Amino acid sequence: MTAISRSLGNVTTAGRIVIPLLLLILVVGPLVTVFLATVIGPWVSGVVYSNLGIVRFVVAITAILLFSIPAAFIIIYMELKVIAYMNLRVGPNRVLPAGAAHSVIAGLKVLTKEDFSPSSADKTIFTWAPVMVFLTAVMTFMVIPFGPGLVGAPLNIGLLYLFAVGGMTVVGLLLAGWSSFNKYSLLGGLRSAAQVVSYEIPLTLSVVGLILLAGTLSIDSIARQQAGWFWDWFVFRQPLGALIFFIAGVAEANRTPFDLTEADSEIVAGFATEYSGMRFGFLFFAEYVNVFIMSALIVTMFFGAWNAPVDLNAVLGYFHLAPFWVYLDPGQLGLGLLLVLAAVPLLATLALAAPVYMLRDNMPAWKALLIGFVLFNALLIGALGLVAYIDWDWVAGLVWFMLKAFTFVFVFVWMRGTFPRVRIDQLMGFAWKWLLPAALLNLFVTAFAIVILKSAGVH
Amino acid sequence: MTAPAQPGHPHPSLDDPRIMLDGQIGQYEQVPPYPPRTEREAEFYTLGDGEMFLNMGPQHPSTHGVLRVVLKINGERVVDLDPVLGYLHRGVEKLCENSDYHHIISQIDPLEYVSSLFMEWAPVMAFEQLMDVQVPRRAEYIRVLTGELLRIASHALFQGWMALDLGGLTPILYSFIERDEIVEMLAAVTGQRMLFNYFRIGGVNGDLNHEFMSRLGDWMSRAAVQHEANIGLLNENEIFVRRMRDIGRVDRDTALRMGVTGPNIRAAGIPFDVRRAHPYSVYPELEFNVPVRGSNGSGDSLDRYLLRLDEVRESIRIIDQCLHNMPDGPVMARLPRLLRPRPGRAWAAVESPRGLFGTYVISDGTDQPFRFRIHDPSFVNLQLVGMLMKDNLIADTMAVMASLDPVMGGIDK
Repeated sequence: MTAISRSLGNVTTAGRIVIPLLLLILVVGPLVTVFLATVIGPWVSGVVYSNLGIVRFVVAITAILLFSIPAAFIIIYMELKVIAYMNLRVGPNRVLPAGAAHSVIAGLKVLTKEDFSPSSADKTIFTWAPVMVFLTAVMTFMVIPFGPGLVGAPLNIGLLYLFAVGGMTVVGLLLAGWSSFNKYSLLGGLRSAAQVVSYEIPLTLSVVGLILLAGTLSIDSIARQQAGWFWDWFVFRQPLGALIFFIAGVAEANRTPFDLTEADSEIVAGFATEYSGMRFGFLFFAEYVNVFIMSALIVTMFFGAWNAPVDLNAVLGYFHLAPFWVYLDPGQLGLGLLLVLAAVPLLATLALAAPVYMLRDNMPAWKALLIGFVLFNALLIGALGLVAYIDWDWVAGLVWFMLKAFTFVFVFVWMRGTFPRVRIDQLMGFAWKWLLPAALLNLFVTAFAIVILKSAGVH
Repeated sequence: MTAPAQPGHPHPSLDDPRIMLDGQIGQYEQVPPYPPRTEREAEFYTLGDGEMFLNMGPQHPSTHGVLRVVLKINGERVVDLDPVLGYLHRGVEKLCENSDYHHIISQIDPLEYVSSLFMEWAPVMAFEQLMDVQVPRRAEYIRVLTGELLRIASHALFQGWMALDLGGLTPILYSFIERDEIVEMLAAVTGQRMLFNYFRIGGVNGDLNHEFMSRLGDWMSRAAVQHEANIGLLNENEIFVRRMRDIGRVDRDTALRMGVTGPNIRAAGIPFDVRRAHPYSVYPELEFNVPVRGSNGSGDSLDRYLLRLDEVRESIRIIDQCLHNMPDGPVMARLPRLLRPRPGRAWAAVESPRGLFGTYVISDGTDQPFRFRIHDPSFVNLQLVGMLMKDNLIADTMAVMASLDPVMGGIDK
């Protein structure tokens, strides 16, 4: 505390502000802590415990809102980079290595742009339409289980909620198209209305067969029924349903080859033509959030949700091995734990640095040590991840869910780089003449099979 | 809005900004803001039940430059349309009449910026007729060689744009790889990537150099394979084929009546190719077929697309023959600096990637032409748009327009 030993007159302006604050914190901090711990704390925890449902809901909403934006950023980056490589281009490569933060910077750019609205637009609707589009997209996240127990609201009518809320997106798009005072926007909005309403029907009908099989509308329960090996997934019991769901899902998310609502070579940007700044950002994010939701739904309902394709317990049982995390009990180590914690980082860093130092000429020792330390940390994080994966089933579930969901996101992006766009009459004809009869056929065959099997006594 | 009154202009232009800015918000003035001048205009600008106007262009992602089309639509269906031209008008013909004969080559170059060597070829041939110049055979071979290379580049670009207008993002970039290689090759010998300014009255500007030949050799070794691979990207795509089939059908009689030339007439079943019908340069010595499609009366967008791909195959054959048959010798005839042709008139036409490109020149004995006229194939082919887009969907306007492959530089001159 050299600052105190000097007279206050010699202290700089910043010091004059900081020193009283420091004293204040030193004195008031412990008092407040004690107060919180003894008086407020029990009250707060009491309120939290007595309203656990509400707290859980608020936390879930916050987490989902916070998750949706990075998910959109990742998908946008994927779209930029994957399509770039498909086009034999390099794609974004300026912000961070391989342009990894490009979409984040683009998002910030959108935030700082002028918020422009046409003079003749219906201002209120024009302002709120993107919010509606984005919120409906995010609201559907609420019932999607990311892992065992990792679901915002485990509704027992999850599927119904999903289609009801998902169908509301079109209202936002229609409002955006109508209020923009632009004929291209109007055409885009009307196209999206026609398209989404048409494809909603095969989309919903395609999962009715699955609902009959699962006997529930709860998405969580549908996910749990697919546990085990990968041939327990519903896609092998409902292949036609899965195909119809995927195609209709692409149309629902307004993606290529069904991206007529924003067909840039025909109607410029469709409903988004007049939007700029963060309003456009909302529409843009909503599109990619929708892509993620569609992938997540396909995974949840047909591709085993969070379940790993391999039944690990069965494999270990086959080799007469107990799950090996039984042996992993750090509490038994006692004093050894302390020694391990103290010695292992040092020794491991040295051990990892040694080959680096010896293999390369002109390698300074400090650089080798740094590399060793970084390597050790990477290994440690990997090991901790592995332990977490083994110990907590929600971590394992999340990993598998994200892997599968982003595989389907990749398929969406892949299709964008490959297909031309269909025409509006072909689009409608495909929905009503092919998908709808196929979905009905799927439903009837499933129902018939269930009746036959039940009468035969098989369950 | 107080735009200055225009004395002498009783009818303000359709592009008058006052159309948009006058009046209260939400109220529209009559479009166009003047009494209709012709019966056709009166018919077009009267809206029926449930119809509205949709203005496409001059700034639009897929009107191939600055073409403006006012569509009268009923839902998604195009009821009627009114193409508006002239946003790129430079007065090239008048510019050429005020330039001397050498200068005209660079004036006419940017007409069809996609295939500018053909724009040089026609006037150069017309001037050579006027001046009775004998072009060296090596120069003729070089002209054919570079011209056919550029035809491939132009058709490659067409394929990419076609896909882009139908919503496919990738093929345009594959096309540009081909085009860029060819353009770089030509830049090695002409010094320019786009507006080459290479042909001269009596020959070409310079002989083929080593860089050109080595690049050409590399490219030729993979050209045919690469072409088939690029074709495979789209031709087996069900969506693409379904979008193109039965759209914008042109039958033989219509094609003849409208004066259509180039791939568009050959896709309507008529084997008219200037290279064979009115042979010029060394084309009579070369072996190649004139591909024809649509003989069964289809003549749709898909035929026009496939025919251009057939032409690329033939062009590769021609380039191969040029390389094998090319004689040695000079590439320029001996000519005086100042060219004063005899008074007279001459017409010369070449088969550009878009059809018959011709120039008609009248000389009065001075060093500048007395009259200079251009027949541009895009302009003639664009006449089909009014017929083909009607009663189609909005999305089909793109498929039709892209399949006609117009270049606005040539249309607006």
